Amino acid sequence: MFYAQLIVNGLVQGLIVGLAALAVTLVFGVARFANAATGDTMTFGAYAALIGHKATGSLVVAGGAAVGATALLSLTVYALVFRKLAGRSVVALLVTSIGVGFLLRSVLGIVFGHNQQLFTVPLVRPIRFNGLIINPFDLQLAAVAAVALVGVFLVLYATPIGRRMRAVADNRELALVSGIRPERVMIALWLLVGAVTGVAGMMLGMKTIVSPELGWEMLLPAFAAAILGGIGSPVGAVLAGLLLGVAQELSTPFVGFTYKLSISFVVLLLVLLVRPRGLFGRLEGVR
Amino acid sequence: MINRRTLLTAVAGTGALMAAPSILRAQGAGAGPIRIGALNPVTGSGSPYGSGMQKMILAAAEAVNAAGGAAGRPIEIIAEDTQTNPQAGVLAAKKLIEANKVQAILGTWSSGVSLAVIPLCNDAGIPLFHCSGAPALSTPPANAKGLGFRFQATNDRFGRAFAEICVKEGFKRPATMAFNNASGIGNTEGFRKAWEAKGGKVVESVVYEPNQSTYRSELMKVLAAQPDVIVTGSYLADTTILLREWFQSGQPVRWIIPGWAANPDLIKALGPEVTEDIISVDSVSNEGSPAYAQYDAAYQKAMNQPGSANVYAAMTWDMVNVLALAIEAAGSADMAAVVPKLREVGNPPGTVVSSFAEGKAALKNGKINYDGASSVLDFDQYGDVTPDFGAYFIKGGKLERRYIVKI
Repeated sequence: MFYAQLIVNGLVQGLIVGLAALAVTLVFGVARFANAATGDTMTFGAYAALIGHKATGSLVVAGGAAVGATALLSLTVYALVFRKLAGRSVVALLVTSIGVGFLLRSVLGIVFGHNQQLFTVPLVRPIRFNGLIINPFDLQLAAVAAVALVGVFLVLYATPIGRRMRAVADNRELALVSGIRPERVMIALWLLVGAVTGVAGMMLGMKTIVSPELGWEMLLPAFAAAILGGIGSPVGAVLAGLLLGVAQELSTPFVGFTYKLSISFVVLLLVLLVRPRGLFGRLEGVR
Repeated sequence: MINRRTLLTAVAGTGALMAAPSILRAQGAGAGPIRIGALNPVTGSGSPYGSGMQKMILAAAEAVNAAGGAAGRPIEIIAEDTQTNPQAGVLAAKKLIEANKVQAILGTWSSGVSLAVIPLCNDAGIPLFHCSGAPALSTPPANAKGLGFRFQATNDRFGRAFAEICVKEGFKRPATMAFNNASGIGNTEGFRKAWEAKGGKVVESVVYEPNQSTYRSELMKVLAAQPDVIVTGSYLADTTILLREWFQSGQPVRWIIPGWAANPDLIKALGPEVTEDIISVDSVSNEGSPAYAQYDAAYQKAMNQPGSANVYAAMTWDMVNVLALAIEAAGSADMAAVVPKLREVGNPPGTVVSSFAEGKAALKNGKINYDGASSVLDFDQYGDVTPDFGAYFIKGGKLERRYIVKI
């Protein structure tokens, strides 16, 4: 039962990482660079949700605010920054995204201050199920993560724009000659990424506390999960997040709490040694 | 467009500038104002205290200047913000030392910042007066040159106070939870040493990592040992998450938490129900002393709040007074001469004085002993002081001080 509880705790931890990894992996898959501004965009989403929640007291409105505002921010950043740098090297884009992240974090710090802020939601007693302690909020969190994942899936696999997105992700030149306009695809991509990032930020903010450093500190685990899941694979990102979370928590009886973070990187290392393309990554042909 | 030549020139120029401060720093002995850096946590997790700390440095400097200045020179304060962040703190300290050429840095707050800033002070040969708790700040390498002076209790002393409170409250099965840094572990280890010296046993102890989204497994381990009280070395953000998850677990236990984490912000974040009966421990000012009365008046004037709202502001008030008295006693602002005088003006024996003006007059007749607003301010061999502690209980969303603990 002790280990079952650890697994539950790990799943909760993993869901949050998985949502963040989902945002990272989408950019990775289509725009082909590691977006280091993802963390700070999450923070932005958390603050947007906080404002929505404070103004109306409704979590649905808060979620809407997070999704809407963050999608808009994401699109703005693309239009002002990443679009101008299209075709530059991956390193240039990565460094630029670090800069974007810095800017966001500082602006959030100036506007909202560095004091911690909280979602004032009533605290509820957990559900006890055969000795397992499950927090109702974590069930909601799992539901939100599932909805986000299904949403991303539907967009990618059931809509024309999703098909174009996948085409651009597979082979940009071929997509171009087939008459796909990459501009529209990119706009759709950044809106989708923004929406997912906003949701991830809000969930993280509700689970912990909201401060300007909130998302930045989430970036490394999110990158790890995106790589482990196979770059560009949405399912992989979420499952890898869960796997890392569970591995971390299950390791604590043996290595203690201070070393659990390194365990997730050991798992990452082992998986990549055996399967260099990640859990769900596809082999890329040599062009 | 940057070409290679301009780039090289720029690099060489920067290099020269970085090498220059050792020459530029040869200052201090001359005339003009004595420059002092006020490096406080105006933003970040120290922000509830930072602006008050900075205003009291300014107010105390004003009082010193009104009394004719130290060693005949006025004091000029240059204020900076650490953002309660070591990187930002180091940048600000560099600016203070290299650009402003300050003679001392006063008022760093979190241990992380003080530990990061003190090497710069050691290199520059200027003292750092801080309010941090980490035991590592007492000894080499951090305090290798004896330039660090601590106006707050060490985490070790906090731990001793926690143990006293455990005895007084009749707790039998304490467990500890510590944030994984020098200050957090310092608190719980100090507690363990003191508690075991009293013949007690700590039933479980956990050190946890910062910035986790949940601490449920950590809590589970501690609660499984059925403690009657959990003693923490923690900060506001992690304490908020910990207590929320503990409350949801439904297992009754009491908490003893350092005052910088169990403060009004924590109550605001969690509400009165969760925080009811938490014991918050903080060092208390030297209330009832004449120095405290002067500080209290200055604090009321600057912040529109009683001086008791900010124990750290009383410390920064004392910092300026002690430094100014030591400069007066040394007769110059040369820190090599001033630093040895700090203990001379702060510790017994000598005429007890409570302000710079009083001390300046008394210095003409011999040795003085400054009793401060924050504590009696007697520095031990490590530059540490021993203040008293207050045990505050949270009742109905308010912090109520029940008793004073002396160690």
